[in-house]
Amino acid sequence: MLFVTPLLLVTAVGVAAADLYGTEASVRPETAVSAAPPATLSASPAASPYPPEEYAEAGIALARSADAHDPVETTDSGDASHHGGGYKIVQWEWSYVQTPYIIAIWILVASVAKILFHFSQRVTTVVPESCLLILLGLVLGGVVLIASKKQLYQLEPGLFFLFLLPTIVGDAGYFMPSRLFFDNLGTILVYAVVGTLWNAFCTGFSLYGMKLAGIIDEKVEGGMMEFLLFGALISAVDPVAVLAVFEEVHVNETLFIIVFGESLLNDAVTVVLYKVFISFVEVGPGNVQTADYFKGVASFLIVNVGGTLVGLIFAVLLAFVTRFTKRVRIIEPLFIFLLVYLAYLTAELFSLSAILSMTFCGIGCNKYVEANISQKSRTTVKYTMKTLASIAETIIFIFLGISAVDKSKWAWDTGLVSCTLIFIFVFRALGVIGQTWVLNWFRLVPLDKLDQVVMSYGGLRGAVAFALVVLLDGHKVKAKDYFVATTIVVIFFTVMFQGLTIKPLVKWLKVPRSTNSKPTINEEIHERAFDHILAAVEDIAGLNGYHHWRDKWEQFDKNYLSKLLMRKSVYHKGELWEVYQKINIRDAISVIDQGGNVLSSARLSLPSMASRTSFSEVTNVTNYLRENGSGVCLDLQVIDTVSGGKVEEETETHHLLTGNLYKPRRRYHAHYSRHFMTVGDKERQDREVFQRNMRSRLESFKSTRHKAKGRHKKERSQKKRKGSDAKEQEVNGKPRRNVSWQDTDPVTAPVDSPEERSEEEADKDEDVGITFVARKHETLKEPLKERPKSDMLEVYQSLAVIPPSPTCAEKHLPWKGGGGTLPVCVSMETTKIIPIDLQQAWNQSISSLESLASPPVQAEPQHPRVRALSRAEAARGGNSGGSDSGGSGPAQDPRFHFPNEEENGQSLQQQESQPLMSSMKPPAPPQVSSTQGMGRRPPTFNRNPCVYLRSLVSASPPGSEPRSRGPTQL
Amino acid sequence: MGNKQTIFTPQQLDAYQVGHSARREAGLFYRYHNLAPQLVPLDYTSKPDVKLPYELIGSMPELKDNPFRQRIAQVFSEDGEGNMTLDDFLDMFSALSEMAPRDLKAYYAFKIYDFNDDDYICKSDLEKTLNKLTRNELTEDEVRMVCEKVIDESDLDNDGRLSLEDFQHMIVRAPDFLSTFHIRI
Repeated sequence: MLFVTPLLLVTAVGVAAADLYGTEASVRPETAVSAAPPATLSASPAASPYPPEEYAEAGIALARSADAHDPVETTDSGDASHHGGGYKIVQWEWSYVQTPYIIAIWILVASVAKILFHFSQRVTTVVPESCLLILLGLVLGGVVLIASKKQLYQLEPGLFFLFLLPTIVGDAGYFMPSRLFFDNLGTILVYAVVGTLWNAFCTGFSLYGMKLAGIIDEKVEGGMMEFLLFGALISAVDPVAVLAVFEEVHVNETLFIIVFGESLLNDAVTVVLYKVFISFVEVGPGNVQTADYFKGVASFLIVNVGGTLVGLIFAVLLAFVTRFTKRVRIIEPLFIFLLVYLAYLTAELFSLSAILSMTFCGIGCNKYVEANISQKSRTTVKYTMKTLASIAETIIFIFLGISAVDKSKWAWDTGLVSCTLIFIFVFRALGVIGQTWVLNWFRLVPLDKLDQVVMSYGGLRGAVAFALVVLLDGHKVKAKDYFVATTIVVIFFTVMFQGLTIKPLVKWLKVPRSTNSKPTINEEIHERAFDHILAAVEDIAGLNGYHHWRDKWEQFDKNYLSKLLMRKSVYHKGELWEVYQKINIRDAISVIDQGGNVLSSARLSLPSMASRTSFSEVTNVTNYLRENGSGVCLDLQVIDTVSGGKVEEETETHHLLTGNLYKPRRRYHAHYSRHFMTVGDKERQDREVFQRNMRSRLESFKSTRHKAKGRHKKERSQKKRKGSDAKEQEVNGKPRRNVSWQDTDPVTAPVDSPEERSEEEADKDEDVGITFVARKHETLKEPLKERPKSDMLEVYQSLAVIPPSPTCAEKHLPWKGGGGTLPVCVSMETTKIIPIDLQQAWNQSISSLESLASPPVQAEPQHPRVRALSRAEAARGGNSGGSDSGGSGPAQDPRFHFPNEEENGQSLQQQESQPLMSSMKPPAPPQVSSTQGMGRRPPTFNRNPCVYLRSLVSASPPGSEPRSRGPTQL
Repeated sequence: MGNKQTIFTPQQLDAYQVGHSARREAGLFYRYHNLAPQLVPLDYTSKPDVKLPYELIGSMPELKDNPFRQRIAQVFSEDGEGNMTLDDFLDMFSALSEMAPRDLKAYYAFKIYDFNDDDYICKSDLEKTLNKLTRNELTEDEVRMVCEKVIDESDLDNDGRLSLEDFQHMIVRAPDFLSTFHIRI
């Protein structure tokens, strides 16, 4: 930490100095380069003492100084160039770039600070980032103050409410785990509304009482209304601060969503209360009539409900717009940002609750928007939102620190400060306990003592309170300065002290856990088993059970909303393919990240090189992989330190288990985090699935390669693979988890019972981006054809993310009847089944991958055999598909190309089914089939990893693909 | 919970209240009732021996992919067939509630693993468990290897199978057991 500080100081000084240039002296912009007349000197005095009123008005605080200057400077430089004596080669254009420059510098400082904080793992685990940021802000503020003699940068309410807060709220709303949120909506609302009212009034009245009792100094002028006002603004638990801290304390998700939701929604309450009280203060307590109180209540309702409605309207609008962005994918994210932001601004425009509006816009649109926009847009939205929110949060905290330095706004009163601190803490605790007591009568899952402690203690105040208190009119609220000081202290105390101590507190309250011991195999198995058992019991108990209203809503959603708001293709059938595509793309990317590198770095010869050695066993990738096992390059949890046989064996066992144990359906974690994309269990599960996926792909790949070479080697690993393959076939009879993919029967949708479907849909709500659950859900919904339901009951849905591995297909395919002679190679063909629809999408996405891949191999002299093979392929292309020979199967280009979209679907179809068709003719000389495999595969694969991948995925659906699908837009 | 009135005899109430508050009890009862509204009467004074057939529980959509659904039902049902009475139903939650003693939990966990009801977890039980957990993804060799390891790890008396004591001992060593093996009702 120590080494960090000087650096920051340097930056800070730099900023301060830069600013000095801009404002204080306005040190003749041209000094450095041109010898212009000191016209600026006369200009700057007029400009510098900009009127204080502008402070409050200016939307962008940082722009303030520049605004004041700009006109002057521009004319000024115009002047200079006019009579300043000729052409200047380089000009000092500070005034021109000042505003954005300073903003950029600030953001840079904030971001660099974050990097530095996270250098030291230990510091960040102990001290919440928000504390560090505030400290940094204090330091920076001090530096700026010293450098420029006055505080230039403040957290301006305008800046805060119009720019910083929306980014955070938008992010929170959009990525809110909505299922969890609505599950606990009642509780959240109670805490947010009742709790906030309770806090506000109790704090206000008590402070007023203290004032009357004389504990608070006489100087703090104010009647009851002023103190109620203060109570209102100080009572809001701040989402920014709460999130920042709670994210680091890993509390259970129910608690998290309750506190988080509360902090989001109670801002709305606070703001309304604040406005009501402000108007009362302005009117003067004496003039407030009874009717006004009712008006206050009415406005409270209207503001909140109105805000929510505005948000929902925008959500519908947004979802509807994204329905039609198919051709302009590139601006999809823009729509999302704009409309969500507009929801905020519109609510603000009508002085409705903007926070509520934005939150509900985010929550409402998420499902439909995610379904409509493309994968890339999804990623963009996700990252951009996270980036913005993260940076906004950082800036808020830094500015809080900076603002605190400015003593001109402070007026200290110990009585007020200490009373406030005590009251907010006590009333928060009382409120939480009281409400929880009531709520626990209605909640199936009661909040226990620990939860209550954490909730009471987690009542952090933050920037919202500060912005509100700064907004106060000093003329009408005489005690403003005292309130500001108190607010700052309260914020600092809650964020720093409570933020620092909440983690140890939680740890201390919980049963201490021993860590650091590697789980034994027993534990690993049993824990997983327990998970399943518990999940089952919870399911039986209906803890995640259905609500009548949710059912109704989902019915409505399915019947009307989704149809209206989701793209047709998405709604009808796209889901399955799209998810499959997502997974494939992700796998492909990962394989290039992981395996691809290994492949190339292991000095494997690429096919073109292989020509020299004429495919000798040792040099080709397949054998490399076969000999070393797929674990070599694809295992993500690499076994590193292996010491001794037993340990090794054990590690392997662990491996085996992590790779194969699967998670129970229910125990997903819908967690919101601002700084991290979802990590943790889901990630791990993803990895497991990925591993399995890749393993099976690789295996099938291997087997084809093997076959292609004439199946002349029987190595032990091969034997083992075969064994597993055989075993897989044995179980074909039973419905397996991946049955829906490979079954020659068309993949079909079970007609789920309504609840089931709606249940699945509900699950989908939680999915953000590429998730595992999503796929599961899609798999079931694919509306193709009817399948016996009993069958589906057995299909393990949660594991729908599956490698296309050989299964029932083989059983049903006619040529399979020949017996177990070719199990390995047969499995290859089935492995590569992919709907044609995907190919286009795949093509698109692969193009981006290709840029990542290794540089294209120069066309080297081809090995005669290869050439022969490609010729064979060309010939084959001519044979089997009449219209085919046009675009695809080029004899010269060893790379496998997808037919373009322009080609008609027929040829696509033809080409797709070729391998299958050929393999469906057993009488065909084995020579042909093997060449065919060769002709396609090796050049394809070895060129670079992604092409290989593409070929894997792109290969043909068996002729059994039920309907001929044209290329579908994805 | 609606405005339905449930009628229990006082003795019944007393009996059910082990480890539960009456309110949660009522919540569970409604759940039980909702699983089979046509079978379970709301008035419980007269017809106390209703059974929920296993098919009803086993076909719950949430449980479809749960490998242990049948086993759980069997273990907790009195008749061992998975047909649950209200008592069984409540017992199940008692055993898994936070207040239940560790030994009780261990006992039930043990029972769940003990597929052949011989009061020992033997190899075949473990293999079954493992296959359920992995959806038959592992080869026989792998399963055998894992099972050997498991038994090796925790078989204290070297009889090649795990007794309840072995199991409890192992559970004690696993710090997460208590904290994970409970549900909040």
